[in-house]
Amino acid sequence: MNRDQMNQDQLDTILAREDEIIPSSGFLARVMDKVQEEAVAPPPIPFPWKRAIPGFILAAGVLGWGTVETVLYAIHQPAEFALPNIHLAASITEPMQQAGWVVGALAVSAASWVLSRRLAGRF
Amino acid sequence: MSASAQTATADLEDVRRVLGGDVRAFEGIVRRWQGPLVNMAWRYCRDRGRAEELAQEAFLRAWRGLASWRGESSFSTWLFALAANVYRNDLKRVPTVTVPMEDAPEPSAPAAQHNELAERSQNESVRRAVLALPLRYREPVVLYYFHEMDVSAAARTLRLPEGTVKARLSRARALLRKRFPYLESATAAAGTTHLPSREEA
Repeated sequence: MNRDQMNQDQLDTILAREDEIIPSSGFLARVMDKVQEEAVAPPPIPFPWKRAIPGFILAAGVLGWGTVETVLYAIHQPAEFALPNIHLAASITEPMQQAGWVVGALAVSAASWVLSRRLAGRF
Repeated sequence: MSASAQTATADLEDVRRVLGGDVRAFEGIVRRWQGPLVNMAWRYCRDRGRAEELAQEAFLRAWRGLASWRGESSFSTWLFALAANVYRNDLKRVPTVTVPMEDAPEPSAPAAQHNELAERSQNESVRRAVLALPLRYREPVVLYYFHEMDVSAAARTLRLPEGTVKARLSRARALLRKRFPYLESATAAAGTTHLPSREEA
């Protein structure tokens, strides 16, 4: 018998030799109480699709119409579409530039925090 | 008729009665399967109170979803798969309190290995180390030994191909061997016996 096989057998011996536990005396009654509660509870109220569908259709229509209008506006009047020039004093633009870096750093920190939490949750 | 066939017949009859509106018939199902489900949960979390809570939740889910059992697999296979899903999701939500595998205590004095207490302590260390495995490796180990070393039963419970379960078991064993390198000499000295697996039998 090779080393791996023997080692596996010993792991099998230890892990297979697990003491059985017996459910507590009230376990069956507790489960059946919960089941009875669920059995007599009124069924959940279904989502009112019939009433909601007109609202969904209206919202989708408005969204679609807005998208189409925006795209048409961008296609037909590209020359007129320009961001307004905002003139700010140097005393204002410099702190704003600093603030931009701070916001950027905060965004990177938040992204790395979220990523690390997701990775920790996965493993 | 064998015991398992009798159990299967009783399960089928109780499910029919429950689906026909007889709530009390579910008691038969709970009575037959409370032991296995609580023990399975115990192996997932090694916390008696939590194991009972998990098993109770599994029974409630079974009650709610009883109509979804079409009889394609045995009732026990369906129930174990449902329970494993409940336990897995709960452990993801609230992980068990475990020490990292590297920190799991390991008996250090070779002479003490002859002592029954030391052997028990070592066995408990190995079981605790299983809990410290990543969930994807821990679950096949838990279910493989819960199903008395039956890979196909563990695979059915996990709803995974047998090959995947075997690969994960192999990886889990490699991690455990790495953590307990002198397990071989230790348990050999303690005179442990080899339990034949179902595959070997």
